[in-house]
Amino acid sequence: MEFLQTCLDGLLFGSAYSLLALSFSLLFGVMKRVNLAFGSSLLLSAVFALWVDSILSVGIIGIFLVMLGSSAIINIYVEKICFYPHRGNYGAIVSMISSFAIWMQLDDLSSFLLPDRTASFPSFLPDSFFIIDLFIRIDQLFLFFIAVLMTGVFFYVLYKTNYGLLLRGVSFDGELARKLGVNSSRISSFAFAFSGVFGAIAAFLILSTESQVTPFFGFWCTLKGLVAMMLGGIGSLPGAIIGGLFLGLIESNVINYLGAEYRDICTYLILLFILVVKPGGIMGSAILRDERAASERI
Amino acid sequence: MLKVDDLVTSYGLIKALRNVSLEAEKGKLTCILGPNGAGKSTLLFTIAGILKSDRGSIQFLGRQISKMKTSEIVKEGLVLVPENRLVFPHLSVRENLLAGAFSRFSRKDEVEEDVESVYQRFPILKERYLQEAGTLSGGEQQMLAVARALMARPKLLLMDEPSVGLAPKIVNTIFEIIKTLSEEGISIVLVEQNAVKASAIADHIYLLDQGEITFSGSPDEIEDNDIIKRAYLGDITES
Repeated sequence: MEFLQTCLDGLLFGSAYSLLALSFSLLFGVMKRVNLAFGSSLLLSAVFALWVDSILSVGIIGIFLVMLGSSAIINIYVEKICFYPHRGNYGAIVSMISSFAIWMQLDDLSSFLLPDRTASFPSFLPDSFFIIDLFIRIDQLFLFFIAVLMTGVFFYVLYKTNYGLLLRGVSFDGELARKLGVNSSRISSFAFAFSGVFGAIAAFLILSTESQVTPFFGFWCTLKGLVAMMLGGIGSLPGAIIGGLFLGLIESNVINYLGAEYRDICTYLILLFILVVKPGGIMGSAILRDERAASERI
Repeated sequence: MLKVDDLVTSYGLIKALRNVSLEAEKGKLTCILGPNGAGKSTLLFTIAGILKSDRGSIQFLGRQISKMKTSEIVKEGLVLVPENRLVFPHLSVRENLLAGAFSRFSRKDEVEEDVESVYQRFPILKERYLQEAGTLSGGEQQMLAVARALMARPKLLLMDEPSVGLAPKIVNTIFEIIKTLSEEGISIVLVEQNAVKASAIADHIYLLDQGEITFSGSPDEIEDNDIIKRAYLGDITES
């Protein structure tokens, strides 16, 4: 029963990792870019929303909406500064390094808005309940369901809408899209804004289950998102979901059986092991093989 | 319909196009022949707004388009079929077609109609509409590239070496398709290296060499001009 409980906790919280990993995968799997400033943009949007709340008292829904809007805007800013100038096949490393610089900038802005280092974040749905001896936090259950729902929305936008179609087209071959006259600048801004909104929803849910925000939240998001993405398979969207849940499972079991101080070291050991045994992550090699096969046909 | 006047385009210091002037008439197939590196693709890219010209004017249906963005030029009805049968390899055949209609996504019924008419024209694409475009054969990919351009409802098609890298039998099919499109009244500017095949279907021919137009005339006039005939067509009478 104890094992079941830790697995349940792990899965519920892992769904948050899945959301973060999906946001990274959108940019990596679809745009072939790593945005290191992503976590910081979520932190800044959260801190900014709290700041707005402290002045205008917009309430929890207001905080949520301000987070979504500001995260979209911050991510478009990141895209215009770091990624749009370095589009094309060879800009991947340059844009990653410049996103590192923007990360520092955004973190500094956040600490400027967060002089006390920690601020409480409003929670909702505080009650918990038991099902046959299993302890379940309602807010985490809610987080899980929203994560499932948002994953659906994510795939719908990417595979069923025109923007999603053009986004996939631009990412596979930006040069061709440009020749056809597709406005790749707008599509790329859309991708960043979309990942920003998506990440902000995840960040809001995570912060309200934690009921506080600290300056480390940005780094935490980037790290967990990247690790979950690498576990699941770089570039694979289903892999991001699996990687997130898997990361949650590892962490909760390690914390329960070995203690919290072993959490990170075990996580990285398992990551190392998976990358050695299955390079590219759990779902990654299939993606690589498909891409190579497709490009050889052309 | 399309009037290019005194066009100069350069890559850095190198002038790829030097004072190129040409005209494409409505409903006609205008062919631009020339060897590798003559500036043929540069010319098409400049007309399509992918490259910017240094000087000169490009008029399409009486409107100056040399300063327009590619997306605006596509909306005007001037659509490029890029070289090397470029398709989006990971998108399905149907998605590739839809991507060609990006400039009028809002009119869904119209786009669906066009997809159907493209399927009628190229039944093989209908058979494979869910397949990833990267898994099609070379000829099918070229058909898809042409079909995708048709999805933009072009008034003038710019075709960049549609026969390159294809088996001779497939090349015939592709030229049949081009001929049919032209007969249906779609104006075409065709850039080719396969001079024999191209001059067989062209209404008017320009020769482009080292960025300059060296000849302009009907296919028959090329026949009469021995020097040019030998340089560009090879001696077809003997073979």
